[in-house]
Amino acid sequence: MKQVNVQPVTNRPAAVIAILLVLAVLGFLAVHHLVNRFQQEKKALGRRLYERGQAEQGAGHPDRAIEDFRAALSYDHDDFQYQISLARALRDTGRTEESEAYLVNLWERAPQDGAVNLALARLFAREGSVDRAIQYYHNAIYGVWASSADTRQRDARFELIGFLLQENAKPQAQAELITLSAALGADVEQQLRVAELFERAQDYEHALAQYESVVRRNRGNDAALAGAGEAAFQLGRYRTAEGYLSAAAKLNTKDPPSAQLLQTSELILQIAPFRRHISNAERNRRIRSAFAQAGKRLESCARSESAEPGGQTATPNLPALRQQWIDMEGRLSQLSSSSEAELPDALMDLVFRIEQEAQTTCGDGTEADRALLLLSEDRGGADR
Amino acid sequence: MSQSTVPPAPEKTQGSEAVAGTERQDARKTWWFALDMSFREERFFMLLAVFIGIFSGLAVVCFRLAIDWSRIALLGPMPETHDWRLLAAPVLISLLVAVLVIHVFPQVRGSGVNQTKAALYIFNGYIPFRTAVGKFITAGLAIGAGHSLGPEDPSLQIGASLSSFLGRRMALSREKLRLLAPVGAAAGLAAAFNAPISAVLFVIEEVIGRWSAGILGSVVLSAVSSVVVARWFLGSETLFRIPPVTFMRPTELIAYAVLGIAGGVGAVAFARAIGYLQPRLRAWPRWTQYFQAAGAGLIVGLIGFLGAPQVMGAGYQYIDQAMHDQFTWKVLAMLAGLKIIATTLSFVSGTPGGMFAPTLFIGAMLGGAVGGVERAFYPHLTGSTGTYALVGMGVLFAGFLRAPLTSVFMVLEVSGDYSIIVPVIVANTVAYVISRALQPTPIFDLLTRQDGLVLPSLEEERDQTILHVEDAMRPVTAPVLEAEESVTDARLLVQDSKSDLFLVRMSPSGWSSITKEDLDRLSGEGKGELTLLSILPTGRLPYLYPDHPLDLALRYVHQVPVIPVVHRANLHRLQGVISRDDILAKYGSVGVEEAGRE
Repeated sequence: MKQVNVQPVTNRPAAVIAILLVLAVLGFLAVHHLVNRFQQEKKALGRRLYERGQAEQGAGHPDRAIEDFRAALSYDHDDFQYQISLARALRDTGRTEESEAYLVNLWERAPQDGAVNLALARLFAREGSVDRAIQYYHNAIYGVWASSADTRQRDARFELIGFLLQENAKPQAQAELITLSAALGADVEQQLRVAELFERAQDYEHALAQYESVVRRNRGNDAALAGAGEAAFQLGRYRTAEGYLSAAAKLNTKDPPSAQLLQTSELILQIAPFRRHISNAERNRRIRSAFAQAGKRLESCARSESAEPGGQTATPNLPALRQQWIDMEGRLSQLSSSSEAELPDALMDLVFRIEQEAQTTCGDGTEADRALLLLSEDRGGADR
Repeated sequence: MSQSTVPPAPEKTQGSEAVAGTERQDARKTWWFALDMSFREERFFMLLAVFIGIFSGLAVVCFRLAIDWSRIALLGPMPETHDWRLLAAPVLISLLVAVLVIHVFPQVRGSGVNQTKAALYIFNGYIPFRTAVGKFITAGLAIGAGHSLGPEDPSLQIGASLSSFLGRRMALSREKLRLLAPVGAAAGLAAAFNAPISAVLFVIEEVIGRWSAGILGSVVLSAVSSVVVARWFLGSETLFRIPPVTFMRPTELIAYAVLGIAGGVGAVAFARAIGYLQPRLRAWPRWTQYFQAAGAGLIVGLIGFLGAPQVMGAGYQYIDQAMHDQFTWKVLAMLAGLKIIATTLSFVSGTPGGMFAPTLFIGAMLGGAVGGVERAFYPHLTGSTGTYALVGMGVLFAGFLRAPLTSVFMVLEVSGDYSIIVPVIVANTVAYVISRALQPTPIFDLLTRQDGLVLPSLEEERDQTILHVEDAMRPVTAPVLEAEESVTDARLLVQDSKSDLFLVRMSPSGWSSITKEDLDRLSGEGKGELTLLSILPTGRLPYLYPDHPLDLALRYVHQVPVIPVVHRANLHRLQGVISRDDILAKYGSVGVEEAGRE
């Protein structure tokens, strides 16, 4: 062993302590500098890996993105953005268990965080856990967001509504839409989006109101006009529908669904016998026309029935209706008679029953048959 | 140091300024002296322990940065399979490290734990400063290049080497120098693992090898101060993010016991592989040592290259991932097996680096795998894979490093959750018992013996039979005399006894003795009416308690033929007697028993 030949310094302990103190301070400063520099480099490295992961995920390679995000996290453990991105990438690769474990861990650390809750909601939505997905969507909607909180909360609600519609939970979707529409600003696109969602949720009343709100601001918005027309059509308000749809058609001629609806609406308005402000002669003409159309429908339906193998009529109602139609045909001439006040209603009742039965038995008929059928659902719709 | 005296007030003469200067000097000396006096030896040693902790903490922070830096530089920021660097870096760096170890730093081979222990017991606490420098460079490079080793044991040796250097610079006594090595070792380990309690216990169990109250205070101080420094720079978070720990039903202890069995067997396989390979590789020609590390590096790199880069380096981030259910049980089992192979090869090749981190890695993977299998068969088990991974770390620690106390406290300290204590104790105990049964010599002792050294160990101490006075004492058969009795009465009492020597219960306390021959002589001299108290010498017999160590009795048996053994609550109540023959007979019989066991 080496011999240490130095003066015992413990005879002057205060001096020794002072020297050690100075050395410790110098050491602290030096290590502080080193650590700071290294930490900065690690953070930069983590950011580069994260950006690479983002690019990979954007390019549709979430499996590669996972490795990048994991590596990024190893350089910056606490970065929430990295953590959520990793969880999302895990979810996108179908590694839902890992993703869930990761997200739950994040959630335990920050249960109020909007991004974590949204990621968990998406995960459970993907897994088909409807209740849990809705719970986390709500957490995300009412959660804390680092930036653009209003926009993100609104987007989360949009996503929840989309999920609810996908799950056919229409009443819940309608409730969310009502809340959302109340908080919407003047953004036309958002209003149109909400109106479309109302339509998907089959809440045509709110959809029409939403479209009309846009139309009031901008009468030249063909999408809003077409949407309003469609919503009105679904509500059986064919006059309103025709008004919006014809306005939309003038602005945008390349919208086949709207054009089809417009055509049907116009036809309904033309054939509806119970419209106000039409003369008795016109009413009688429309009734005769509808009666004739019903007769044709009976004939064509009977032909297609007899063409079926066996030649037997599948529905016993059709011959009875045919007999009634023949019986009533003789009374058409009394339409103008004031003593036959009930006759127009009786004739149209028969027409509607024939159209409904033929629809059930033989499927879709002509455009005129469809118009009569729609009219049968709401006789007063042509005036609204 | 001169004593200060108060000089008479000087007159204002030409020499008055010089006198005033002397006064100031004296005043400074007085102040300095008072300060020096406040640092008496024990206090100074305590303060020194704090400084050792600070310097060790700073060194370990730099060491961890060095490992991170070399890993990024050598393997890239994100080690991926099929990256050629995973093959090239371990091989080339191993060659460099081998040259450094063989030619420049020969004392840095291995983990550093046994070397520190050897320094404590054989070299009077002397560890060259060069060892710290060499360990820092070689272990930093080797771990950074992907060798399956950890930074804790090297940190322990770096801390011990720094403290030894400081002690030598201050020319401390040999006794104090010896004490400094474990103080530095605890500081180094505590900073590396960010767990002061575990570090202190590990140093007691594995480095000091015996319980020593004298050094405990300094070891704790240095460990705590080094952890404070490490946390200052690296943050206070533990090495792993611990998942919520669940332990609901006592019946689940069976599942943890199964983990203990798997861990015990795994630990034995790991220890035997190292114990078998190391001496054989060392027996190869010296020139092969340059390539042993490179060969090990090549295999470890190949494992990483082909699909398991997790086994390269310390692997803490993968332990963390295992604890958060990010691997399936099949992957966990595979990683545990591959890590055993990789660590065995890295270690036996003589590459400097520690066993601490690989042990935790293997334990976590094994625990997670066993937990995963158990949960697959019994889905009602409440413990998550993370909980089993956490317990698994302690299990392998108990089974492989054979530090049962540290293994329990480590898990508690790392998790900060005491609800897991019962499963940890059950699993660790099972692993420890299996490991002891199948591998009688603990791994560090085995490695030390392979180096040709025999050092004390706590496990050995636990095995040793500690004898007490009660084990050797015999019942009192001869009459016990009272001090107030007359010589005549005493003669009557002892006349039928075969014994020659009789104990006398003195008044008000103490014991003495008298022979039959003395009683006869006193009676013949006409002193039959005198009491024993009046004639016996004032000096009293030493006495012992039954729970005294038998070694203590040896100090007195050369003075007196028989020593009374008395009750602690009543010193007049005789429990038995003990003589030199009794002690020697007991030691003889125990020695024969222990030799038979060996």
